[in-house]
Amino acid sequence: MNEVLAGERVMRVNWLPGSDRLRGRCHCGAETEAEDPVQMWEWLLAHPDHPAGGAGAPDPVGELPPPPAHVVTDPALVRGRSAVLV
Amino acid sequence: MTSIVRNQWYVAAYGREVGRELFSRTICGESILFWRTEAGQVTAMSDRCVHRRFPLSQAPSHLVGDTVVCGYHGFTYGADGGCVAVPGQTRVPRTARLKAYPVVEQDSFVWVFIGEAELADPTTIPRAPWLDQEGWTAVSGMEPLAARASLLIDNLMDLSHETYLHGGYIGTPEVAETPITTEVDDDAGIVYVSRHMADAECPPFYAKSTGIQGRITRWQDIEFAPPCLYKLHSRIAPTGSVPQEDGTDPDAFHVEVVYAITPETESSTHDFWAVARDFALEDAEVSEFLRENNRTVVLQDVVALDVLEQVLAGEPDGYQELSINIDTGGLAARRLIARLAGEGAGAAQAVAR
Repeated sequence: MNEVLAGERVMRVNWLPGSDRLRGRCHCGAETEAEDPVQMWEWLLAHPDHPAGGAGAPDPVGELPPPPAHVVTDPALVRGRSAVLV
Repeated sequence: MTSIVRNQWYVAAYGREVGRELFSRTICGESILFWRTEAGQVTAMSDRCVHRRFPLSQAPSHLVGDTVVCGYHGFTYGADGGCVAVPGQTRVPRTARLKAYPVVEQDSFVWVFIGEAELADPTTIPRAPWLDQEGWTAVSGMEPLAARASLLIDNLMDLSHETYLHGGYIGTPEVAETPITTEVDDDAGIVYVSRHMADAECPPFYAKSTGIQGRITRWQDIEFAPPCLYKLHSRIAPTGSVPQEDGTDPDAFHVEVVYAITPETESSTHDFWAVARDFALEDAEVSEFLRENNRTVVLQDVVALDVLEQVLAGEPDGYQELSINIDTGGLAARRLIARLAGEGAGAAQAVAR
């Protein structure tokens, strides 16, 4: 890949020849591939916290919220619900 | 909220446009008066008399030596914008002063600083030396664009549109087909987009100006210094030719296509364009060919972008768009400009405090 800019904080995105994929490299050395330039820039610009799953990865899933009452079938869950939800 | 980035240098004119006649142009929403002192120095000041706002560029306003005399009531201003005479009284009000703009003439352009004058640093003005340099011949012009500056930046950062909008001039199939590489230097504030076509059709723009017959190696290297100066380093050579190891490139033709993208208002832009070449330096026919053809290409963009501005102005905020690989450089430019806009606003607040 041609590298022209010589600064210390240069980010590069290379369109991989023969494909539709982009390969991005941060000045810190972190690299990823993506098929969408918007997601690629979001990933690069997250420096120094580049998302671990690569560009376009969904946000890590945290603790799930409680399911809505009408889909709860586990009796233990039903018993544990607060009165407000019943 | 304004889309114009303040506390930046913008190209306001070509040096040749400013002389001993009063010249006015609106830059970033500010009407600015330009004239040259008897010593040849370019001056830039508000084009509104402090008295009753009469435009100082409007006849019968006129220059007398190194002063400009308002054509309405005769308020007279020096080259620094200070009022030196008012009619009928000897006392000149202390506040009678035109806003003066930092101004630099460089590389054939007249640059002005829009924002807080104390923040103006002439060493930060990006360079385009080929426009006024031994060994190069340049042609140039300016077309008014009835569209916001960001549309022209989008246009120039993605040259794949040459294939469709400028076919028969500079567009060939290879431009849209060839992958790009994109680099962004955050510290320097530069976006660099490179498209190297190893074996491409030679478009008429280059075939007729260089005389090359047959297919070519065509390199397009964009270097954009937001918000104003865009440079396209164009290299045209017989297929397979590459620069020599010592950096010389005797088999290639080099063309530097320079744009200065200066907002006139929120929704209109001064589209300065220039084409410099390192071949056929004395050939007036080549100059005329490149001037007419590049102007035609610029006007093709102007027609398209004027329509696009009307469309976008009629749509609600937050309209949907879709970006693909060809937009990688344009997206980077948008992000740098957004950062500059934030910095410009922050700097203005700091000065205000």
